[in-house]
Parts: sequence; C-alpha cells; structure tokens
Amino acid sequence: MSQGRDDPAAVRAPREFELRVNPIRCDAHGVCIELLPELIAADPWGYPRIRPGPVPLRLLALARRAVGDCPTLAIVLAERPSGQPEPDQGRMRPDR
Amino acid sequence: MTAEHVKASASPGEPPGSGDLRLIVRDQPLSLAAHLAHYGPVPQYASRPAALIAEVESAGLTGRGGGAFPTGRKLRAVAAANSGRSSAVVVANGSESEPASSKDAVLLSHSPHLVLDGIALAAEGVGAARAFLCVGSRGGLARSVSAVLDERDRAGLSTLPIEVISRPDGYLAGQETALVSALNGGLALPTFIPPRPADKGVRRRPTLVLNVETLAQVALIARYGAAWFRSVGLAASPGSALVTVTGAVDRPGVREIPLGTALGEVLRRSGQNSPAQAVLTGGYFGTWLPLPAALSAAVSVPGLRAAGGSLGAGVLAVLPDTACGLAETARVTGYLASQIADQCGPCRNGMPALAEAMNWIAFGQPGADIIHWAHQLTDLVTGRGACHLPDGAAGLVTSALEVFSADLRSHAQAGPCERAHRPAILPIPPGSYR
Amino acid sequence: MTGAPPVALVVTSSTPLWYTTRATGLVAMVLLTAAMATGLLTSVRFSRRTWPRFVTLGLHRNLSLLALVFTVLHVLTTVLDNFVSIPLVDAVVPFIGTYRPFWLGLGAIAFDLMLALIGTSLVRTRMGLRSWRLVHWTAYACWPVAVIHGLGTGTDTPVRWVLALTAGCVLVIVVLTLWRLALSWPQRPGWVTAGIMLVVLAVFAGGAWLRAGPLAPNWSIRSGTHTSQSRAASGTSAGATK
Repeated sequence: MSQGRDDPAAVRAPREFELRVNPIRCDAHGVCIELLPELIAADPWGYPRIRPGPVPLRLLALARRAVGDCPTLAIVLAERPSGQPEPDQGRMRPDR
Repeated sequence: MTAEHVKASASPGEPPGSGDLRLIVRDQPLSLAAHLAHYGPVPQYASRPAALIAEVESAGLTGRGGGAFPTGRKLRAVAAANSGRSSAVVVANGSESEPASSKDAVLLSHSPHLVLDGIALAAEGVGAARAFLCVGSRGGLARSVSAVLDERDRAGLSTLPIEVISRPDGYLAGQETALVSALNGGLALPTFIPPRPADKGVRRRPTLVLNVETLAQVALIARYGAAWFRSVGLAASPGSALVTVTGAVDRPGVREIPLGTALGEVLRRSGQNSPAQAVLTGGYFGTWLPLPAALSAAVSVPGLRAAGGSLGAGVLAVLPDTACGLAETARVTGYLASQIADQCGPCRNGMPALAEAMNWIAFGQPGADIIHWAHQLTDLVTGRGACHLPDGAAGLVTSALEVFSADLRSHAQAGPCERAHRPAILPIPPGSYR
Repeated sequence: MTGAPPVALVVTSSTPLWYTTRATGLVAMVLLTAAMATGLLTSVRFSRRTWPRFVTLGLHRNLSLLALVFTVLHVLTTVLDNFVSIPLVDAVVPFIGTYRPFWLGLGAIAFDLMLALIGTSLVRTRMGLRSWRLVHWTAYACWPVAVIHGLGTGTDTPVRWVLALTAGCVLVIVVLTLWRLALSWPQRPGWVTAGIMLVVLAVFAGGAWLRAGPLAPNWSIRSGTHTSQSRAASGTSAGATK
C-alpha cells in the first residue's frame, strides 16, 4: 500500500484499526467487555461479540488497553486497509 | 461407488472433447501405462513455474474442497511466501471427512496418477521440496495409493518425496489448519489465523493445501491449457467438477459434470425416482433446497448460491417425500455437535444447545420459544469460532427450518410426524455421539 | 566527622539511611503483597457491579510498579549506607555479600524476579503468551522469598507491630492462594491437594523458623552479622532492636 511519499500533494488516508478475538485463546474473562461496552457485548455465555467495523478514534486508547489487559492475550488490534470491505480473515472454509 | 463409463480418447495426449469425461475415464483404476496412454506425458514446469501459475490463473480454477478459493491466487501466494527458495510444502487433501461425500475416494482409487501428477506440478509451481497426501481411512486407500507411488518411483517419474498419511479421526481432521496442525505433530484441530498455511504451515514453511480434485484439475490444465479448461462450464465457473449424488436416487455415486449443469439434469442422470421434497447441497455444512423449485438451479458455486444453497464439497443428497427433513437435520446437527474441537467458547456452548433444540423440534413438540431459541443460536455461533463448523451447522438448521416450514408447523401443533422415526437417509458415522 | 558541613553530616550519617532502608523495605513488602493480592484476585476472576475487572488489573499494574520503586529505594539506601559494606552488585547477585549473606541473597533473588516479572509484563503483547506465563508463575516464588528476606535480614523482626504487619500480609496471600487453588479443583484435584498441602506446610515451617531463628536470641550473629557490622555492639543503635 504505497502512499506516494514523494508526492507532497498526496493526502495520507488515516489508519484504521479493528478489534479481533482469537476464539481459541478467549476464556470469557470479560475485561474487554467492561472496557469497551460501546463496541463489545457479551453473549449468553460471557464471550465477546465485537461490533464489525473500525474502532472510532476516540476509543482507540481504550482498545489498546483492552488488548494489553486481556488475561489470555486473546484480543488483538489489527490494521485494516481503510475503505475496503471486510475480508474474510481468520476463518478458512473447511477444505475437504 | 462407480464412475460413469465413457470411451477413452483415440490418441494419447489429445485433449478430451467437450463431451468427454476428464477426471475419471474408466470404471477401474487407471494403471500408469493406461494413464500415460490416455493423457500423454507429464509436462515439466520446473524451469518456468510462473507459467504454470499464470495458466491456472487464467483457467479460473477454484478449489474443489468446499472453499472454492481461486487456485491460481493460492499458488501465487505460496510461491511469493517462498520467494525463490525451495522449502515450501504441498499438502494434497484427500481426507474427505464429510460423511456424505465420496468423490475424493473415487478419484484417488480410479485416477491416482492424475492426482500425483498434480502434486508434482504444484510443487514445481511453488517451489516445494516435499509433499504430503492425506487420504481417508476407508477402503484401504492408503495402501493402494502407496502402491501407485511405488510404481511411479520405479518408472522414474518424479523425484518429489510424497508421504501418504491416513486421515486422523473426526469431521474436523480434514480442515485446512487442522490438517497442517496434525502434520506438525499436534492435534488435528483448527488453529487461529494468522498465520495462514500459505505463509507458515508445515514446519513453519509456506504450505499449499489443495483438495485432490483441484490438483487433478491442475494436472489437466498443465497439459491442455486454460482455454481447453474453459471450454466446458460457464465463464464465471469454468471447468468440470465431481459431485456425489446420494439419497433417493436409483444410481447414487460420484459423477463428473460440467459446472453450470442444471440440478434437475444431474438428478435425472442419477435416476431420481420417487417424489422428492428437498436436496441437501454442499455437505453436512451446507444447505437444503426445496424440490421441485430448485431443479432449475445451476450446479456451480454462484449458481447454487443464487438459489440459496452451496456447492461445498459437491454433495447432492436427495430427500424423498417419505422422510422427515427436520429429523434428518436433527441427526446431522447432533453429529456435528459431537465433532466440535471444543476450543472456542461460543461453539462449545452453542453447538450442543443447537443440537438439543433441533432434537426438540424434530422429535418433540416444539413451542415458539424453542424455535426462537434455535434461530438465536444460529446467530450466536456464526462467525465466532476458529473454523466454519458452527457456521455450517447454523446454515443447515436455518435452511431446514425454512424449507421444512410446513413440517415445523405440524410438529409444533401435533408433535413429530411418523416419518421422523423412519431410518435415516443421511449417513451418520457410527460411534460419533459423545 | 568533625569539620564536615551539617548537611553532609545528615546525608552521609548512617542512621537516617538505615531507618530509610528499614522503612522502604517494609513498605515494599506491603506493596508487593498488595500487588500479589490483586494478581490473585484477577486469576479468580473477582468482580462486582461496582468493581470491574479492569480496576483490579489497573491496581495490580500500578502496585507492582510502586513496589518496584520502593524496592529500588530500599536497595539504594542500603548500598549508600556505609556502616555495613553492601555493594550494589549484592542487590542482583545473591549470596556473595559479607553481611548475612544468605538472607540478604534472598532479597537479591526476589529483586531479580521482580525485574523479570515487571520487565516481561511491559512487553507482554510482543512476547509469546506461553513465555510470559512461564515467567509470571515465578511470582509464587518471588513474594515468599521477599518476606523471608525481610524477616531474616531485618533488624525489626521481633518488633510487635512489624510481626503483626507481616502476619497480616501472609494471611492475605494464603487466603487468596487457597481461593485460587480451589478454582482448579474440578479439573486437577491432585495438583490442588498438593498445592494446599504445600501452603499449609510453608506456613508452619515459616512459623517454626521464625520462632527458632529471628525471634530467638542471638539471631544477629547466627544469621551472619559480624561484630563489626553490628550496630548494637558499636553502640550507634537508635532503633528499637531487642
């Protein structure tokens, strides 16, 4: 994703981040749900459901804190290519 | 399981005509001599791997294992991750843990040389120094494939070491990351992505995982070219594919069809006899389509998706009017719930609950609350695991509740119909309930 | 020290430094106990409607850092205090000192572990989860080692309120550790039983050692203090040592 650094007229698109849960590591401690109720809700069993889409700038600091605070390091902040639709990252279809 | 019989081409190496079969051409296993006589020699791409990748890309081949991922793009990704070295790994996935599918087993027993050609070619394309071939555990496939490999070694066909592995038990064992994990000496359970196997797979090397049918198609494209490949099928889904037709048909089994063939045509060729209410497309992680409405759907990835179904692993299971779709779905959901990896919370909690709800719906008298809870569960488990097993089960249940809505209403009013207790149409592997 | 300016007298005089060493040592022990306690509360998933989990985690982080700060102060004042020669290296390399080498060395071990625990936690998201967890398990060793160091090296051990304070810290940690063990009972009853026995054994052994060691006469000599290092012998003691 080259941004044309030599071109002074080029405007850099702001970097966007999104939260992703590693469901294998997640143990439903719920710290992320407490820190970011605007973006993460608990399912009936205490596991996080993240609202799709980029993390709003004002919540980015809290999101970083949630990543650092997770007892099992199950939540990550991933950079997403801005303006593109959500790719199916993370879960491959069963290849039989 | 039999293949449809056809005359072999007149001269060796001549591309099969558009009416001829491509992947399976005889009722018995093809020997090495017959294979070379029919298809011609294996082309060499070791010195021009980029050409092979380009050919597969322009052919528009997509994965035949269920994911339908563009094969050319996968080859390119692994080759790029390997970046000129020769340390990549090729994994041929013939594990076929889908109970209703047998196309991979039939392909491996009837055209093993085509698959092995494909493995060697793919290895040249991405720069791999070793390969694994994972086969299902039924029918002595490991033994027969190993014998075929010995035959090729004696004929001096390829220097690529190919190790034959018998698939570990379990529905998930054939999933891409689970297979890689098992090859790395771990459990045959899915892993979280990143890293993708294409970047870091077996022994942390770039790994190409392809279904055995996809590899056989690569072997054909390498010989006859992309234009030939596209001469059957549709522009959006070119080529041929193997499907397993089962259920209420006279001639169940594996057949090769040009992609885009109408579903009705495929079922007619398989001898669909008794009145049928629905067809399960894709596999146990697929979706139900109502009959006769779906007869006009095109059997291809976009065609079935447009009709609300999926091509998946190529399973087409016909449900007769004498069976109860809800009961079949309940049994399959119970089987799937017994096969979970037990790694992810939403699936570990949601799948047994979904199986229990379906049991109520099929064999009890479900109130509106149970039906609502079943719908909620399908939403809760979708997209929240490391693999797509819960997504598949959710899709199966959702389509069942829609396609068999009349049965649903009658169960809710009067309890299970007497069809619900008939013998199962869809096979459930024994001993699979936990 | 005649002729030296008054300020220099105060700063380099041993007694204020000695008091600061003892004070910062005690404070560090309390802070380390609080850090360990909040860590244990995290592992037992403690939370209430008015006390979310991230509060416990935030406290754990800040208390650990504070404990480190006070431990560093404790180390510095000990090194600067020239009444007894304790070079800086003794703070990180155990058992090479000349003053109560074993009990002081325990302090070095605890300090090293604290550095590892906090250092790895600062880069937690960048190192693998397994390695971080492995290092963090040593917290179960760090805290008791620090407490024993305090009881063995400290000249205030027989003081009643110091004993009560230490006993309070031990009680808190023991209760929380048993709570943490109880959580694992369904999955690993064997390990839990072993753990409970270990805790009980440690408490009794610690108590027995306390009575036969620091609380018994002549501990100062028995623990490795030379006469030249003893403040009581040189008559400069101003604290309440018995």
